[in-house]
Amino acid sequence: MTRFAHAVREELWSRGRRVESRLAQGQAVEDAHGITATDARDDELVMLARHELERLHAVMPQDALVRLVAEASTEAITATMTVRLNGISIVTDPTHAARDIELLRRAAGGSAANRSAGFQPAGPPASSRPPLPLLWRNGTAALLLHEAHAHPLEHHLPPLPLPPWLRVEVPLQLRRATFRDVPLLRMQHVRVTQHDAPFALPPEHIEIHLIDGGAYDPLTDVVTLRIAASSVGPFTITERRGDFRFLGAEGEPQRYPGVICSREGQELVVGSYAPTLLTA
Amino acid sequence: MIYRKQGGVARWENGTLIRVTESGAAREDGDLFECWPEPSNHAVDEPTSRRVVEIASSLQHLPVERLIVVHGAARHEYDGRTWSEETERIHLSLAHGQLRALVDSSTRRLDDWTTIAAALQRADPHDREPPRHLVLAPGVAAAVLPFLPNATQTAGGVDGYGNDIVDGGTQNFYRPSYRVRPVRMPHNLRLDHHVTAIDPDLPRAIALLAPPDSVALRVLVIDGESVYPTTAHVTKIEAVGREREWYPYGAGSFGAELML
Repeated sequence: MTRFAHAVREELWSRGRRVESRLAQGQAVEDAHGITATDARDDELVMLARHELERLHAVMPQDALVRLVAEASTEAITATMTVRLNGISIVTDPTHAARDIELLRRAAGGSAANRSAGFQPAGPPASSRPPLPLLWRNGTAALLLHEAHAHPLEHHLPPLPLPPWLRVEVPLQLRRATFRDVPLLRMQHVRVTQHDAPFALPPEHIEIHLIDGGAYDPLTDVVTLRIAASSVGPFTITERRGDFRFLGAEGEPQRYPGVICSREGQELVVGSYAPTLLTA
Repeated sequence: MIYRKQGGVARWENGTLIRVTESGAAREDGDLFECWPEPSNHAVDEPTSRRVVEIASSLQHLPVERLIVVHGAARHEYDGRTWSEETERIHLSLAHGQLRALVDSSTRRLDDWTTIAAALQRADPHDREPPRHLVLAPGVAAAVLPFLPNATQTAGGVDGYGNDIVDGGTQNFYRPSYRVRPVRMPHNLRLDHHVTAIDPDLPRAIALLAPPDSVALRVLVIDGESVYPTTAHVTKIEAVGREREWYPYGAGSFGAELML
């Protein structure tokens, strides 16, 4: 018999004004007959969640749409903040909020200074990917591997063939979003590393800075990635996962500002780290 | 004013049975929406696990990719009014090759799924141009009604504030959970048309192959001996059949045969 319990405080803020506030709590007990779930309260978990919410309050911006989720469970304590500005968003936590929000401001701002730094402002996504090599910056390559490598593993499909210089660490475990959910085999994080990778940057390429979302369909083996900010603006990649070619990489893994992964309606935070990666 | 809800759900989800009981409350104060769990002493009939297990078992012979069967019972309270509801829902996806048929329904149309599964098995995997005229099966038509401006609300039951759902009304609010802020939405949509005769010999779209993209529907079509995927645009509707069946799209949708 296994037991899971959690308490969650969630708030939605619009330009410094709180518009939604939720408390959720409950426990799930699993035995041979299935799962029995109730909204039983665990005072200690509720108190821990409240503490995490206060940490989020201390660092949240006042000029954006902000969703705060503070969760204390029998498995982990997490504090997650989603910040949306000018149509694009990042997911961060109290430790990384300042840096991540600055990245978002640069991507969402669209000022002349930002454009000279290599960003094109967000706008309606182009229908398809321009035919140039892709340089995945800011840890965005973790999302490519999240969809093309990690999700197939969750579905017990073969791993993506990778070059010998590229490694992807994807620990899988049973996870659930709420006490009402059936736990599923899900990735905990995606950590991409490179060792002695080649790196010959072609003069013409596209730099990817932020990703709005993605998907993997196990039936068609197709990966979809919606690029929110790049050197050519937003666009969408729709390709079979085997069609990505890994040309090179450089540097240490960078933390991507958060990924909320949704499967079977269950949204979970997945830590994401990757070096700069070059693909065709 | 505070809205209160208590209830339970028995759910079969891809091989696991889960039973959930909970009660909670919600309040709207200007722009602020708040909700929290709140114990309740009222008795609610517990949903029967046996029913969802029976339904799930009866579908095991199909090429099921995903199966969720839900039976729920709830008691609601708002502004001195109380009301109860009982729900049965099924979400099913059937897969063959690279085609996936999606079914959202109540538990009353189990026979349809055997037909869909059989058609899927012999379907051409390649998309074709949509036929000039096409009949949408009720379960397919129901999915597109929320995107049609001339679909209207059908009277019956109460909304998320306990107000009567009136025919043709536009002021009802949908509240699927106490944790969700109610949104104004027409309930139990239907489409009326002065022509109700449906040509039985036309190609027939029997299942969705993807969620609707507004009025663009990727569907599985039976056309004589052929079965194939296509994308149809629901723009010109020539007839709507008389028989209606309720489906769980949006705040409810009465599907009827639509002839395009």
